[in-house]
Amino acid sequence: MNRKERRQLLKEKQFSDASVEQNKISSDKGRGFFQRIYEDEYKKLIFIPFAILLIAITIIIMNVVQTGEFVNKGFSLSGGTAITVVAGNINIDVIEDQLKSNLPDNQFSIRVLSEAGVARGFNIESDMTDNGEAIINELEKLSPGIKDSDSLSVTTMGSSLGDSFFKDAILAIIIAFIFMSIVVFIIFKQASPSLAVILCALSDIVVTIAAINIFGIKLSTAGIAALLMLIGYSVDTDILLSTRVIREKKGRVMTRVYDALKTGITMNATTLITVIVGIVISQSPELKQIFTILLIGLVIDIINTWIQNVGILRLYLERKDRPKVKSESNGQ
Amino acid sequence: MGSNGVTKRILKKTRVIILIIALVLSLFAIQFLTVGNTGVAIRTISKDSAAAVAGIASPRTTQPMAREVIVALNNKNIDTVEDYFTFTKDLKINQSISVKTVNRKFCFVVGCLINDYNTYRLKVQPEYEIIELNETESIDITEQVFNETINETVNVTRTEIINKTIKNVLGPADIGFSVYPAPSNNLKKGLDLQGGTRVLLMLDEHVDTDVMELVIDNIKQRLNVYGLTDIVVREVKGFTGTGDQYVLVEIAGVNSEEIRDLISQQGKFEAKIGGEVVFIGGKDITYVARAGDQAGLEYGSCGPVSDDLYTCRFRFGISLTPEAAQKQADITAELPIVVENGREYLNESITLYLDDEFVDELRIGAELGGNAVTEIMISGSGSGIDEQSAANDAIVSMKKLQTVLTTGSLPVKINIVKTDTISPTLGEQFIKNIMLVGLLAIIGVSLVIFIRYRNLKVSIPVIITMLSEVFILLGFASLVGWNLDIAAIAGILIAVGTGVDDQIVITDETMKNAIGESHLTWKQRFKKALFIIIAAYSTTMVAMLPLYFAGAGLVKGFALTTMAGVTIGVLITRQAFAAILEELVKK
Repeated sequence: MNRKERRQLLKEKQFSDASVEQNKISSDKGRGFFQRIYEDEYKKLIFIPFAILLIAITIIIMNVVQTGEFVNKGFSLSGGTAITVVAGNINIDVIEDQLKSNLPDNQFSIRVLSEAGVARGFNIESDMTDNGEAIINELEKLSPGIKDSDSLSVTTMGSSLGDSFFKDAILAIIIAFIFMSIVVFIIFKQASPSLAVILCALSDIVVTIAAINIFGIKLSTAGIAALLMLIGYSVDTDILLSTRVIREKKGRVMTRVYDALKTGITMNATTLITVIVGIVISQSPELKQIFTILLIGLVIDIINTWIQNVGILRLYLERKDRPKVKSESNGQ
Repeated sequence: MGSNGVTKRILKKTRVIILIIALVLSLFAIQFLTVGNTGVAIRTISKDSAAAVAGIASPRTTQPMAREVIVALNNKNIDTVEDYFTFTKDLKINQSISVKTVNRKFCFVVGCLINDYNTYRLKVQPEYEIIELNETESIDITEQVFNETINETVNVTRTEIINKTIKNVLGPADIGFSVYPAPSNNLKKGLDLQGGTRVLLMLDEHVDTDVMELVIDNIKQRLNVYGLTDIVVREVKGFTGTGDQYVLVEIAGVNSEEIRDLISQQGKFEAKIGGEVVFIGGKDITYVARAGDQAGLEYGSCGPVSDDLYTCRFRFGISLTPEAAQKQADITAELPIVVENGREYLNESITLYLDDEFVDELRIGAELGGNAVTEIMISGSGSGIDEQSAANDAIVSMKKLQTVLTTGSLPVKINIVKTDTISPTLGEQFIKNIMLVGLLAIIGVSLVIFIRYRNLKVSIPVIITMLSEVFILLGFASLVGWNLDIAAIAGILIAVGTGVDDQIVITDETMKNAIGESHLTWKQRFKKALFIIIAAYSTTMVAMLPLYFAGAGLVKGFALTTMAGVTIGVLITRQAFAAILEELVKK
């Protein structure tokens, strides 16, 4: 070992001592209420995300019991028609009354498509698979000429395709999850941290699906893509956290956690702002659903990453470090 | 050290140079033209229209900027679609029009390096309405007949009795262009952003690739007959155990029920001799040979006709029902025989109609006249400048004929499972809306970065990298000819969002000194950041991969853009960002 390297090692030791010292001072004095709970009560805090996960599973089971499906499917998954009309002046109630009184046997959901609060058109979804003819005829009565104008978009999805797409999508999510788990194991090579990351991603998806049910969102093909995207996003912050906490050896565990938190929250903030802009501004129902599901998922991911995953990692490090201390004292 | 020196050093870094090359290549691929993209681009040319007669062909390229653009009609500038319609509104029959078009190449913002002008002359045709009357008339037909006894061709005139028709002129016919505003870049808008019709068909049972090809060719053929060439017809698959097979049909710019109905039906094929229907596809034709002994080029039939013209003959067999064969015999029994190129034919041809449109005409071999034959050989020829191209041409003609003859008798039933008719107005609104979302998202993200770092040396590289990433992704999309639909744009947003996340990781990882890591070199710290980035990248890729193959390709665009976006990010932009940051912040 040359002199330069030795000097560097010494410097390193001084640094880590200093930072430990600093942390001690701060832990005694200026810790706020929440900080104290976050740092000291992490074993109890872990129960919060687990409780949320349990509630979510209950909600999903209830949905299965009531409807036979674990999630409410929109027209693009169950078959049906969506009609989008570009119009500035819209009275939703009039349209709804017209449709309900003249087509009483069918279900409709109507919503205004707006851009930052300004109405640009409206969208009708129904369970009919007649290429929208019945609805368009009703709209024609309300606003003659609409039938032949080029402001009309119609999408009809056959129920068989919706069904097979849904099956495909579920399979895709499962395969994606398995692949992701394998990659995570390859990255960390240790069971507990890898399982913590996988559990976090799993909770994210399950709780998000439950939230989708609570908010009454009808899942579309685009929404499924968003759920898959969530796997990717959820794992990003977990990888950041685990890398910083497990692979780095210097400083207090909590310092490393805060370090990761600072980076992670900045990452979440940029994503959240994009997603919120998307929800407020975007007109397309598909885009709006992608952004809404990402928003729900990201909020849930913040809880799961920074409480559940942090808690599990700290427990893991505690267990791992304990025998190590023993063997060191034995050796001396 | 001056900021000039820093800039110079940044520009000398390999990773930054790679980024700049990628940006320049993207500029080449996208070809933004913000000024001077006047005129109307030609989408399709209607069959037998004045434009088609004048020799203007439907565009073969799918690259938006490579499309022929009409810039003037009769020396009057045509800048917009409105100009075009104003001009074509009051045309008169037989009026002559000069059409000036341009092919633009290598365009950059204010102009194009190559403007290839072309002028066509066309004549407005009358639009007829033909009414068949209940009366008959006799007409004289003069034909060249080969007389074997005197061994030369003589003119023979015969009289034929046909139904009387009257032709009413309805007015000037459409000159045959289908146009849209001249594109200002090479980005291909997906159907949901430009309007059009999309139909997803599901096959009733599992078929092999040959049958699938037949189904696809058949739909293409029929849409072409209809005058539509700007179409996509391809197979898509899902991966669930059901093994469902789908055919996706996309027609840009056409928003009509007619098309949907056209595709949903099997199609109508009729063969007529002298105006009388001999057989109908699906009912009378029981088999069309497409390969094997029964179909292909005739052995030894290829040869030169003149110095630069070669021909090849093809033949394939079909089977008719006994009823159809009898009908054929009855109709042809009395037809006289003529001789052409040393072969004997009946004087009437058999004409083929697809969905009531004439597609082809075949001579009938003399031996078939009056004979009820159920196995028939159909032959024809192709030509070209050499033997190979003549053979290719013959094969193409054969395939086309086979496809037409199979119409109505496809071996599998097809059902429409999804239809979209998308309004162009809505598409236009969506584009504006998405651009607004993108702009506000970029501003929002920039604000978060400024607030977090309070350091322009960090924030500006983050923002520049983010914008470069959007640009390179769009360049890549133009290069490979992706259709940018709503889902693909969501994919771009997400890829760029991931990019920003990674840059935050790089910044935090390389700039942190707090916990005693200042001893690490810049390279070591970047390596640690890269570990997190590659780990996150791998998980995103494997999560998106199944989506690419799933569900009849409904969300393929989303999966593809996300995967391409994060890959370009990891390979190019993250590397350049780290290099820039290193020069700016390293002390």
